[in-house]
Amino acid sequence: MTEIRLQVKPVLRAVVPFVIALVLGGFVLLATGHNPFDFYQLLVREAFGGTDRIASTLSSATPLLFTGLATAIAFRAGVFNVGVEGGFIMGGLVTATVAAKMPGPLAIPVAMLAGAAAGVAVSAVPGWLKARWNVDEVVTTLMFNFVVTGLTGWLVTSFLQARGVANSATPLIPQPNWLPDLLPPYALTSGVLIGLILTGGYAAWIRLSMLGYELRQTGLNARFAAAQGINTSRVIIVSMLLSGAIAGLGGATHALGIVHRFVDGFSPGYGFTGIAVALIGRNSAIGVVVGAILFGALASAGTTAQLFSDIPLDIVDVLSGTVMIFAVIRLWRQR
Amino acid sequence: MTIRLGAREVSRAFGAVRANSRVTLSVAAGTVHAVVGENGAGKTTLMRILYGLDQPDSGTVVIDSTPVRLRGPADGIARGIGLVQQELAMIRSLSLLENLVLGSEPRKGLRIDWTEARKSADELASTAGVEVPWDCLAADVSVSVRQQVEILRALRRGADVLILDEPTAALAPAQVTELLRLLRGLRDAGRTVVFISHKLDEVLAVADVITVLRHGEVVDTRPATGFSRDELVTSVVGEHVGSGEFPSSAEIGDPVLAVDDLAGISLTVHSGEIVGIAGVAGNGQEELVERIVGLRPAPGRISLSGKDISGFSVARRRAAGLGYVSGDRHTEGLALDASLTDNTIAGTHRTLGNFGWLSPARVRSQVERILTGYSVRHGKTSAPVRTLSGGNQQRLIIGRELDRKPPLLVAAGPTRGVDVLGESYIHTRLRELRDHGSGILLVSEQLDELLSLSDRVIVLHRGEVAGEVPGGPESRAAVGDLMLGRRP
Repeated sequence: MTEIRLQVKPVLRAVVPFVIALVLGGFVLLATGHNPFDFYQLLVREAFGGTDRIASTLSSATPLLFTGLATAIAFRAGVFNVGVEGGFIMGGLVTATVAAKMPGPLAIPVAMLAGAAAGVAVSAVPGWLKARWNVDEVVTTLMFNFVVTGLTGWLVTSFLQARGVANSATPLIPQPNWLPDLLPPYALTSGVLIGLILTGGYAAWIRLSMLGYELRQTGLNARFAAAQGINTSRVIIVSMLLSGAIAGLGGATHALGIVHRFVDGFSPGYGFTGIAVALIGRNSAIGVVVGAILFGALASAGTTAQLFSDIPLDIVDVLSGTVMIFAVIRLWRQR
Repeated sequence: MTIRLGAREVSRAFGAVRANSRVTLSVAAGTVHAVVGENGAGKTTLMRILYGLDQPDSGTVVIDSTPVRLRGPADGIARGIGLVQQELAMIRSLSLLENLVLGSEPRKGLRIDWTEARKSADELASTAGVEVPWDCLAADVSVSVRQQVEILRALRRGADVLILDEPTAALAPAQVTELLRLLRGLRDAGRTVVFISHKLDEVLAVADVITVLRHGEVVDTRPATGFSRDELVTSVVGEHVGSGEFPSSAEIGDPVLAVDDLAGISLTVHSGEIVGIAGVAGNGQEELVERIVGLRPAPGRISLSGKDISGFSVARRRAAGLGYVSGDRHTEGLALDASLTDNTIAGTHRTLGNFGWLSPARVRSQVERILTGYSVRHGKTSAPVRTLSGGNQQRLIIGRELDRKPPLLVAAGPTRGVDVLGESYIHTRLRELRDHGSGILLVSEQLDELLSLSDRVIVLHRGEVAGEVPGGPESRAAVGDLMLGRRP
């Protein structure tokens, strides 16, 4: 009984900002002379109406699952890591490069590990700076995003650019190294399973492990944690390393499963939407899953909905933005 | 006699703590009236009420013999009352002149009339008999000068009653003399001064009338000439009114804590002994505790049961046998938003499982043992600890730290904000721990608590050991003297 109620609460918390955003968006639609109910019906149908649509929604949700989880684990430790975007991109580039060159059955796991390591490389320095010198992590992680975006952008137009390809992209990963599809012919890869397993692992780890306990206490009250003998610097570094690893794995999954190479503009801001996912999900595992699916649904339904109506895709962006605002408002009220 | 400013039966409580209890105060115009008392006696609360910063739960403020209701500081200012607070409120990057006129600048059209500002500033300073370097930045001058500007600012706004809250706390002796001269000058010019202090010599030197507060109640009001110094000390710290129950330590054993030149402080705590640390707040107690616990880097040597722990982290010190009851329950003793369970296992969580995973059964049994054993009245253990009352929160902390029977317990303000029953409960448990053979370093601002629990009391003054006296009610006057920086 109590178990069920515990599960319902984070789901509700994640859904409420969406409902508010849909109501506000409804007024925008009304004001522009559209029928909001028709449009929302269309959105729901395009997001969940049929196996193909659900597969597409889950596919769009997969990168957000990783970035949301990566963000949540840092937030839970009280580290406001906004550098998941950088880890995701770096992980994507490294994985795409390794997987394109490496033959054999071990290619996928090795490439994914390389991606995770690349994510760790991006988050390690800001984590260390925060733990050692209390350098503001928002600034350092945000700046690292720029460094990573610039660096990867330069690499895919120079050393790593595929021969005979006009745009900035690495060579195509050979098909044996792609993540297998779950529901052929639909474009849903096994990446979503990796994300869900990681999220489940996070749920158990944060609640039941000693380090998870220390991470929660550090996030709630670092001074309290330190006074009880918890090494808060270590906790901060661990949370940043895990966050970076998950971000890198997200990029790896995206490269191996969806894009099959690295291109400039590899992430349309998955890392930043991940912040909204974590905020909406209150950094809980179930909340992150729900948040990722809802944002995934908006993204995937929005793209196809405009094919069937005269409503521009931008209205979906307005909805996403509104959801994020309400997610943040609720965060501040809680503090 | 007209009462320029006063209080009639004013009471004010913060939760379970009664800061003021039926306080009646009458300040006559043209006098210096001192309000004295220990820390936590309710002086600052009373002044905030008189100025309009706080409202009494019952009773009224009296101005010019008439009961009034002050809704905010603006009401106080409008009635000629000025407050100079403990923390001086100045903008450090502005000059003293700018700070002086801030908020009521003389204007010429749309612009500030600096010539006029300067003229009025000089006039003010000369009537008060001080010289102020008006063009210096506030950041560059001493606290003493800033305080003078603060006083002039209140005068400039038309205050003829000045309330000064612990004005000498941060001043050097020569500056204190100058301030007292300034205050006397103001009185001679017909103004009224309310002076809050716990430094009795200054009070005796400057005040016309003295009111003594203790535990939020007025215990005495007399003309300053009617007090001898000793009478005033007794009046401030109180006669011992305890039940006479004073079981001292049964058996004092080997040293458990030896602190050697820790930023100038050396002391020893033996097993089976409670050593009290007394002192006016801000005289180095907090730093001492943080250094012993390991939250603040420490020059010097600390050893625990004979083992040098100087370079140890908090965790290793705890593992070596240190228990710590923080003086700051809300930010250091507890994580208010974490559950009862999480708060109860903090510090021992690493022992409650295997291979890095907590064992839910062992966590549950430890939490149950502590919450039951220390009579913490609680609901669900998954509820945030914020939902507990203050007294129960403190019992949880005491339980968490005492459950391990640490050879050394550092307890800072272990009964702060706890009601009478909870207080005697916690005292009993601390004595039990001592009789069990642990050493306790007890830091408290409550003299009664220190004297009745401690086997020895060490008094800190300005970050140094001012002296040591045996515990017990008969040491009260000696501790009072040492706290004020005087040799008994």
